Amino acid sequence: MIRAAFASTAITAGFCLFVLLVVLVPVALLYPEPGEVLSRFLLGPFEKTRYMGNIVELATPSMLTALAVVLMFRCGAFNLGVEGSFFLGGLTTAAMVLWMPLPPLVGIPLALLAGAIVGSVVCGIPGIVKATTGASELVSSLMLNYAAVFIGLFVLNYYLRDPTAAMLSSDRFPAEYRFESLIPRTRIHIGSIVAVVACIIGAIYLNRTSQGLEVRISGTGNDFSRHLGLNSVALNIRIQVIGGMIAAFAGGIEMLGLYSRFTWQNTTGNGWTGVIVAIIARDNPILIIPAALFIGYLQVGGDLVSRAFGVPTEIVSLIQALVMICVTSVAIFQHPALRKFVQGDRGGAAQ
Amino acid sequence: MMDLAASLLSPEFFAAILRVSTPIILVAMGVLISERAGVVNIGAEGMMLSGAFCGVVFSAYTGSATVGLVAAIVAGMVGGLFMSFAVHVLRANLFLSGIALNLAASAGTILALFALTGEKGISGTLDSEVLPSVHIPWIQDLPVLGTILSGHHILTYVAFLSVPAVAIFMMRTPTGLRMRAVGENPEAAKATGLSVIRLQLQAFLLCGVFAGAGGAFLSMGYVSWFSQNMTAGRGFIALAAEVMGAGGAYGTLAASLLLGSVDVLAIALAGEGLPSELLQAAPYVVTVLALALYGLRQAKQKTIGTVH
Repeated sequence: MIRAAFASTAITAGFCLFVLLVVLVPVALLYPEPGEVLSRFLLGPFEKTRYMGNIVELATPSMLTALAVVLMFRCGAFNLGVEGSFFLGGLTTAAMVLWMPLPPLVGIPLALLAGAIVGSVVCGIPGIVKATTGASELVSSLMLNYAAVFIGLFVLNYYLRDPTAAMLSSDRFPAEYRFESLIPRTRIHIGSIVAVVACIIGAIYLNRTSQGLEVRISGTGNDFSRHLGLNSVALNIRIQVIGGMIAAFAGGIEMLGLYSRFTWQNTTGNGWTGVIVAIIARDNPILIIPAALFIGYLQVGGDLVSRAFGVPTEIVSLIQALVMICVTSVAIFQHPALRKFVQGDRGGAAQ
Repeated sequence: MMDLAASLLSPEFFAAILRVSTPIILVAMGVLISERAGVVNIGAEGMMLSGAFCGVVFSAYTGSATVGLVAAIVAGMVGGLFMSFAVHVLRANLFLSGIALNLAASAGTILALFALTGEKGISGTLDSEVLPSVHIPWIQDLPVLGTILSGHHILTYVAFLSVPAVAIFMMRTPTGLRMRAVGENPEAAKATGLSVIRLQLQAFLLCGVFAGAGGAFLSMGYVSWFSQNMTAGRGFIALAAEVMGAGGAYGTLAASLLLGSVDVLAIALAGEGLPSELLQAAPYVVTVLALALYGLRQAKQKTIGTVH
């Protein structure tokens, strides 16, 4: 059992590297110095403390959005509202910080809580609609993502806008509300620690509590859970509201950690990254941490070659799309020869 | 307000509804075929985007709008091949494969645009062609109907004609019947000797044809350029329209027209000084409401069925 889980993780890691090279090498060959492009992408992110800090900064919101996705997927809800929840969470937290003259020690938790509650509707409503009417949570959550952005832009334009700023953005947050950097020469903030702790709590919740067991049973099929007398409907709604809260909380953390004003004009992509991270982590909360760091590493690598050689950063999205297909491919993961190879290899090494 | 009422009843308003609904109808027909064959295609958005891109690029390099349209359709079909490969050969999750296709199409079109023009945002430097509009003899001379029905883009007529065509194909032809059989119960269909994979591949390819044409309407219809992510969720709206239409071609047409009308109404109301952001949110909120109402009706019918 443990060995089988290890095999899946090893195959996942192997395929991540494989896909990375399959996309990267041909792109690098288009440039005069392919070796330079490759080494800049692959090794560049480790060259400076600042770059490594960037990896952690980028991984922080993805860990939380991925945790939200994992909880909902494990419960059997195919809800993609994390993108909208993240956006509304960031907006509400920004609005609270600007409107509420409270000392930061009270104001910050309150602003994050308000963000989590307001942002949770984007994941929560599709859950409730599914439970009461049977309409697919997948389609309604995709629709609400768009609605959330436009409603957010309305609030930004009519209530938060700084008329003196050159671009559409809110007023500046008071300095004492913004998270301080924990490590010199990086912007790593308290949110990174919160995200890691959240993933650990998520793992304990799913694997070591009775409600987590109910979530997992309910996710495997409703007939069995109904047979056991579980109230899957209520559980499903609860998990989607919690998922929305986590994603929205991530938006608030991102806002106070990395921004001085609210400047988002569209969804940020952090929700979609969370979906990809959740898939690479194979719906396991603990594996979210390395998976999010890996995606953060790709983004920093892509950014470095973009700045040095003008390679478009979209190649990172292409890598992510292919990784997604490979990692969810049953044909690859159930392939007898591949599993035998990986597990046998492991057995040999243990001796 | 009188002006608004007048503009809402004007023939131009109804003509605008037909125009705005066209891409939704086309893509929704494609989604319908895939859904009935049991492989609901979330990747329609990505197929549409590739179609919009290839239409512009191929028409610009050949100088022929027809070649552009064919290229757009082929691009959609390539998306269908990708979906079939992911779902049938790699046996990846259907929804996640669709999301991956959308992601790949979004990034891929930007990369290709950058490679061709050096720009990432818009294909302004490509001199691409536009597909023609059609003026229908006799009808165009009629007072009100002429404005509403005539002078539309050729793909608008294609979209409306495709609705009965899809209805007949799905309900009256052997292939349509087999596709529905595969969608209803793949195991049973397999037992009768049908090739599930081949039929679902065909459904993906047909979905690609419609999504590619829908994309071509966006970039070769009333504008002659491609901009990044120009589909802006229309593929997802088409998905919603198909659900609201309950998998029937005419119901899907009605749902597409409803969603298109909300969009046009939002544009008209924005002209009256209402906040445009809220109006832009309206079509998406209406979609969710409509899905919920439809779901309620379905649930009610089901309980009535069990009582008797």
